[in-house]
Amino acid sequence: MLKSWKLKEVVLMSLFSVVFGIIYLLFLHAGNIWAGFIGPIAYEWIFGIWFIVSIICMYIIRKPGAAVISETIAAAVEVLLGNAVGPRLILAGVVQGLGAEAAFAATGYKKFNIWVLMLAGIGASIFSFVYGYFMGGFTVFSTGYVLLMLGLRIMSGALIAGVGGKAVVDGLLATGSLRGYAITRTAKGDARV
Amino acid sequence: MKSALHNMNPSVKFLIITICMFTLAFFFNPWTPLIVWIGVLLVQLLFSRINWKVWTLFMIPFVIMAFGYFWTTLVFAEEKTGPVVWTILNMEIREVLLNHALALSFRVLAFSGLSLLFALTTKPVSFILSLMQQMKLSPKIAYSILVGYQFLPVLKDEFVQIQQAHRLRGATQKGNIITRLLNMRKILLPMLAGAVRKSERAAFAMEARGFTGEKRTSFYHIIGIGKLDVYMAALFLMLLIVSCASSSFI
Repeated sequence: MLKSWKLKEVVLMSLFSVVFGIIYLLFLHAGNIWAGFIGPIAYEWIFGIWFIVSIICMYIIRKPGAAVISETIAAAVEVLLGNAVGPRLILAGVVQGLGAEAAFAATGYKKFNIWVLMLAGIGASIFSFVYGYFMGGFTVFSTGYVLLMLGLRIMSGALIAGVGGKAVVDGLLATGSLRGYAITRTAKGDARV
Repeated sequence: MKSALHNMNPSVKFLIITICMFTLAFFFNPWTPLIVWIGVLLVQLLFSRINWKVWTLFMIPFVIMAFGYFWTTLVFAEEKTGPVVWTILNMEIREVLLNHALALSFRVLAFSGLSLLFALTTKPVSFILSLMQQMKLSPKIAYSILVGYQFLPVLKDEFVQIQQAHRLRGATQKGNIITRLLNMRKILLPMLAGAVRKSERAAFAMEARGFTGEKRTSFYHIIGIGKLDVYMAALFLMLLIVSCASSSFI
């Protein structure tokens, strides 16, 4: 899978994963304390934060695997920095990345408009929810509560990860530092500003 | 003896801990996770030299979180049958439900105990090297993660610099949490733009020094698997089996 990747793309992906790994960790700690007061639903409305790196990397690099690998690295960085969620977080990262990747794969890695990015956020939400349902033991909660959690997570995935991720990359694109990556190439192959 | 956990092969430790967590997810009673949590504590007391102050600091949020799971389960759970154990504020706590709530919160504790064991006894760099040497992680990714990891202090300095630059020009934002969160973008974007440039430079430097990203057979830092790993893995599996078996006795 990595054969077609340039080294600079791989390094870019891992550096972004490091930056977002730190952000993820901050939100994780905030979320944990918050969750102590209102229970596991505390994470749901900010869950989109944890999918953002897969969408950002895929939007810039546009190669199969960018979503799942970047999300996995970000999770690994969270583990490397030391926290008490630990190795389980890497599995969660893989699952979330696969969810986002599935949306991009479904469109054949061709379209990268706002709808596809939002779809990727929704995909990550659904995948991570199924995983959380099993690992977190959500089975004990009533159906209504679980559906509320799922709804909040999907919204958060679409808005924070999809719309937010696009906003971040578009801002970055305007700085001109992304020249040389797939995002600056248009369909015809000529350079965009 | 006291350094056994620190000297364990990181990949083996990672695998064992993952296996423990997945197995725990299948058990839904308060005893299994509780026994695992206590067992993990004992293993750490005997075989590691971790800083218990740091351990406590990391554990506190998870205790709060476990408590959150405990009471939300009691309030929002579906099960409404079985004998009543206590009554508080006109709310009847039923036995099945209490067991569920305890199971969920002990699970949080067991998971965080296992994770802390890994986090506090593993060196990040040797974990990545071990993933590359034992788990066949692509060197392209492994070394890129290491590059990213080495940039951490630089990124931290840059974050402070950007903040100071903003402050110097009077661009500091005050306001409620939402405006402050939206303004994070003003710090995030320069940091990401810097990250793009740094990654490009690092990639060129790696290529200039002959890094091709091909699989290798020899390494400078060798991280091996030894007898110690077998013994420790056996110890963890024993703990897991005892805790799982306990669910059928109690």
